[in-house]
Amino acid sequence: MTQAVAAGPGGRGRRRWRRYLLPFALALPILLYEGVLVVYPIAQGIVGSFQRIELASNVAPTWVGLDNYARMFSDPSFWMVLRTTLIFTGLVILVAILTGLFTALLFNRPFWGRPVARGMMMMPWAMPEVPVVMIFIWILNPQFGVINVFARLLPGVTENPQWLQVPWLAMAWMVLIASWKAFPFYSLVILAALQAVPDEIYEAARVDGANAVQLFWHITIPSILTTLELLVVLASIFSFKQFTIIYLMTGGGPSGATETIVIRIYNTAFRFYDYSYATALGVAGFVVSLVIASVFILLQVRRTQENV
Amino acid sequence: MSDMATTKSVQPGDRTQPAQRHTLQRTAQRRLVRLLFYMMVIAVSLMTVFPIYWMLVSTFQPNEYTLHFPPPLIPKEITVRQFAGLFANHPIALWLRNSAIIAITTMLVSTTLSVLGAYTLSSLRWPGRNLFGLFLLATQMLPEILVLIPIYGIFRRLDLLNNLTSLAVIDAAFILPICIWILKGVFDTVPTEVLDAAVVDGCTQLSVIWRIVLPLTVPGLVAVAVVSFFFAWNEYLYASILLGKANIMPASVGLSTLKAIGRTPVEQYMASGLIFSVFPVAFYLFMQRYIVSGLTAGAVKG
Repeated sequence: MTQAVAAGPGGRGRRRWRRYLLPFALALPILLYEGVLVVYPIAQGIVGSFQRIELASNVAPTWVGLDNYARMFSDPSFWMVLRTTLIFTGLVILVAILTGLFTALLFNRPFWGRPVARGMMMMPWAMPEVPVVMIFIWILNPQFGVINVFARLLPGVTENPQWLQVPWLAMAWMVLIASWKAFPFYSLVILAALQAVPDEIYEAARVDGANAVQLFWHITIPSILTTLELLVVLASIFSFKQFTIIYLMTGGGPSGATETIVIRIYNTAFRFYDYSYATALGVAGFVVSLVIASVFILLQVRRTQENV
Repeated sequence: MSDMATTKSVQPGDRTQPAQRHTLQRTAQRRLVRLLFYMMVIAVSLMTVFPIYWMLVSTFQPNEYTLHFPPPLIPKEITVRQFAGLFANHPIALWLRNSAIIAITTMLVSTTLSVLGAYTLSSLRWPGRNLFGLFLLATQMLPEILVLIPIYGIFRRLDLLNNLTSLAVIDAAFILPICIWILKGVFDTVPTEVLDAAVVDGCTQLSVIWRIVLPLTVPGLVAVAVVSFFFAWNEYLYASILLGKANIMPASVGLSTLKAIGRTPVEQYMASGLIFSVFPVAFYLFMQRYIVSGLTAGAVKG
């Protein structure tokens, strides 16, 4: 592509080597920085998962082989945590992307006040997580929370529910809050994809007598399918990583109903001070996120190849 | 739509009347669709904005209204006394100062490094360039918690805990890949001819960055600075573990220690959330185009 010319014409042997000197020199500080602060700690974590570590007492770590993993796989609550992670991640992907798609379709049509409405819609995404947690703790307060005003409108609700004390309600709220925070981003990306679809295709299909539903399934969806694919993978990464909202709102409770693997790792390490077991859990999480990340990268590579 | 109506009305003469009725029906139907459409837009917008609206109401309304069930949905009275109370009762100023120090340090480190990374990724050709890009993508996707446990051990050993700078250094490592992808997208827009002309005129590759690329991409640099600043400003997980002492707490951790209804009055609790989010919200909305392109690694033009 365009970069080919930048290096200048010709150049072989020593000149070629000198040409590569600058790019390597520029990349090196970044590789070192990420290497020391991200790659090395992960390697340490993998090594640590085969050891027994007592951080508090400064006793040297001892090798325990696969003990931590054996404990993990035989622990029934580990499988519960995986299940919770799967449910949470899956539901957030579903709710956030469908809401994003729906709003993008709405906002793709011109209407009075669209720029203002669009700006307002982006606000949840721009909010930092800690204030989001504060807002929802207050909204869901069983005594004074404003959500109860709306809940009471539903048939059969005569008392304010304990929103975060009932397991399925707590999970539902975690999914809703995480989706509320995430969907504007997906909406914006889908909207950009929608606007790239040429109007002529729609015109031609209408002349051929296609109705709105047919237009949606046969033109809109196929033309944004690659974008949707990409977003599903991105959403699974983002929601798999979700920590702050769940941790500060429920801490994983009630009775483990919202304890995803990220929360479990944190609690194991920093509440029960069981570092070696936490690193083994961390390696399990690492494997999962690596799988998702490779899917993302594969999709990206395929996309760039299609574009060229 | 109008195309179809016209094709229908040029049908053979004896069918004009039904066709006209058809058109009338269509206009009525279209109005109804339009009405439904506006109702949906309003419903979606209200549901999206309501939690933020409620933060504003709970901040500015005296709490005798808020601590009453059911609370009024539209504020009856406005007050700003809670801000003085908030700053008097809690070390908010200190927390914000700590957040600012962490955020500025993170910003300086990641903006500087991302210029190098983005230039080598965008304008130079070298073997391993794609691999470098993929490496950045992969580091960006790992959950932060996986790195936290080993980092905590390492920082403990090296006595780097409870240190604002060491938190900033770690924050920069996590936001750097995104910054590089954002800036790469911006550098890609500089025409190659401009770069070539500079080289022909005797510029070295390094001075091309300084003299040509950077002056042409100031908005992108600002975007990267803003993104990294507020990433560190908002960050909670690492701050809560690596900074344990009360006097170096950043605002994200400090605010999470406040409890609604408990010792902090609701209007002060919500006011602190408001103060903390005003700047990131304003800047993120302003910079959203760049941030989106960075998060999707340039695959989607935001």
